[in-house]
Amino acid sequence: MEFLTAYLTANNIIFFILAAIILVFGFLSVTTTKILRAATYLFFVLFAIAGLYLLLTYEFIAAVQLSVYAGGIVVLLVFAILLVKNLGEETEKVSCQKKLVSAIAAISGVVISLVTLFGFGFQNNESADELTANVNMETIGHTLMGVEKYQYLLPFEAASVFLLACIIGSVVVATNLKKEDKK
Amino acid sequence: MIETLKDYYSGFAIMNQELTLVLVLIFVLLADLFLGEKGKKNLQFAAIGSFALATISGFTVSFGGSQEAFAGMYVTSDMHVLVKNILNIGTLLVFFFAHYWNKNENRNQSGEFYFLTLSTLLGMYLMVSSGNFILFYIGLETASIPMAALVAFNKKNRDSAEAAAKYILTAAFSSGVMLFGISLIYGSCGSLYFDEVANAFQGLPVQILAMVFFMAGMGFKISLVPFHLWTADTYQGAPTSVTAYLSVMSKGAAAFTFLCILFKAFHNYPEIWQNILWWIIVVTITVGNLFAIRQKNLKRFLAFSSISQAGYIMLGVISGSPLGMTSTVYYIFIYLFTNLAAFGIISNIENQTGKVGMDDYNGLYGTNPKSAFIMTLAMFSLGGIPPFAGFFSKFFIFAAAAEQGQYLLVFIALLNTIISLYYYLLVVKAMFINKSENPIPTIKSDNMSIIGLGICTIGILILGFISPIYEYMTSISFGM
Repeated sequence: MEFLTAYLTANNIIFFILAAIILVFGFLSVTTTKILRAATYLFFVLFAIAGLYLLLTYEFIAAVQLSVYAGGIVVLLVFAILLVKNLGEETEKVSCQKKLVSAIAAISGVVISLVTLFGFGFQNNESADELTANVNMETIGHTLMGVEKYQYLLPFEAASVFLLACIIGSVVVATNLKKEDKK
Repeated sequence: MIETLKDYYSGFAIMNQELTLVLVLIFVLLADLFLGEKGKKNLQFAAIGSFALATISGFTVSFGGSQEAFAGMYVTSDMHVLVKNILNIGTLLVFFFAHYWNKNENRNQSGEFYFLTLSTLLGMYLMVSSGNFILFYIGLETASIPMAALVAFNKKNRDSAEAAAKYILTAAFSSGVMLFGISLIYGSCGSLYFDEVANAFQGLPVQILAMVFFMAGMGFKISLVPFHLWTADTYQGAPTSVTAYLSVMSKGAAAFTFLCILFKAFHNYPEIWQNILWWIIVVTITVGNLFAIRQKNLKRFLAFSSISQAGYIMLGVISGSPLGMTSTVYYIFIYLFTNLAAFGIISNIENQTGKVGMDDYNGLYGTNPKSAFIMTLAMFSLGGIPPFAGFFSKFFIFAAAAEQGQYLLVFIALLNTIISLYYYLLVVKAMFINKSENPIPTIKSDNMSIIGLGICTIGILILGFISPIYEYMTSISFGM
């Protein structure tokens, strides 16, 4: 009983609720046969992940998660789905054998990962609160634009070239050929 | 300490090759913008010319020893410079082969082709020179996501879109696995800098799991078995120039990066990753060879051949010695000329006749003796027949593995070389011996392809005999 009350802090309860939401909707999102529903379930998953960041007091990342992933990417996904013609169609049913094999692979992967992770004992790490206490916007800004150790100017700059290439690449993929070229 | 603006930017001073490439990128982008419809022809010369200058300027860079910038985020040395120069040469050759395709079929989007290819090249540079997992990951993604757009370039062909979808899905999956591994490395080691990871790596189960996930992610990029399933479809569907680029540059850069990270970040527990690599190499070489025998499409055939070649490249990685690094880079260097020669011929013939089947090549010698001759050289060199360059690269890489006592592995690889000889000679047999009712008509190659094929042929014929190249690599290589 004592163990239970020690375990049932507000933080832990909220964590388990969020974790349950992530797992359930994550599972639904990959198993549903309707693509629009998958996108909706994904939205809940991303939303709950933002909750996890808030729980860790990473306000900035929570805000980014909400605006970029839950706000931007899911909306983009829905747009993309609506633009594709065959909206009403359901995805193909997967054969039982495939389901079985992938289930075995997934479950064994999860079990191996969990056993090793619990064996390492991340859960007893007390210093996490100290680490997260000082992360504010200013620190993040300096970290992104600094050139000293543990600062990330170069990856930041590289990411800008990367994004430009991605934009051009997606334009190439999306462009329709002109009429005279079609045949 | 950082006091002035100059200190702040001084890190860029040693990134000569990256900055040059960024300049070329911007130049290509602006040229594409301002030259307009009429200037498409000039655009190609502008892109190839400026990149050729960048390639030449790359050979003037020299550091003497190892250097780092941004407090260890970016690492470089003469070996890194050399690898980037090798990648430059390969990309330039791909541009030569792609010229005809860009002039005709792809004329509306040739600017984008150059821009995207060069930006993936920039990603490979960063990946090769990274000293931190974050920069490595961004470089890797820069090298793979625009690549998916390149694979999808051929709009008239549905296979191209399918190939791109397969490529991007497996790339995303492997990146996810790898990121999970990297996050575990960060969680258990407390840092993402390779040298600090090496110090904190104690061989705990979670760290080994992290390393395995990381290796799985790299396995996808280098297309090692069992992570190779995307390779054949993607290689077949992509435009041939892109396939050539994918099979040589993408693979070479990833292999060298893999080697660097294993040497730098995981060198305290080599027996763990050497054991994993041992099995991966055996399966990769064997499966690649066995599947290659059955292929009827030449691009698919070369896809499986490149899978088994990747296994040979890993023989240099497993040894973990300076000799291993030398022979890996040397292998990539030779493989570049050899494979690009084969792809150059295939792309030439495909561009003009649309044929890529093995049976279509029956009787090629009668109509196109020069093409058949170069293709034969390439096949002999891929198979490792002396005196072509491919023999020397295989010899050195076997020597590197044998030096570390991997005799059984070298023996299996040798057996596989014999299998590979069989299927490489199948192509030669088709061209020289098999008769055909309607052989491929005599084609007239464009000048750019002829230059490219000439360079490749010279590379295959004489590179093996120029020992200063190998000696130079030996002088700048480093081990664990």
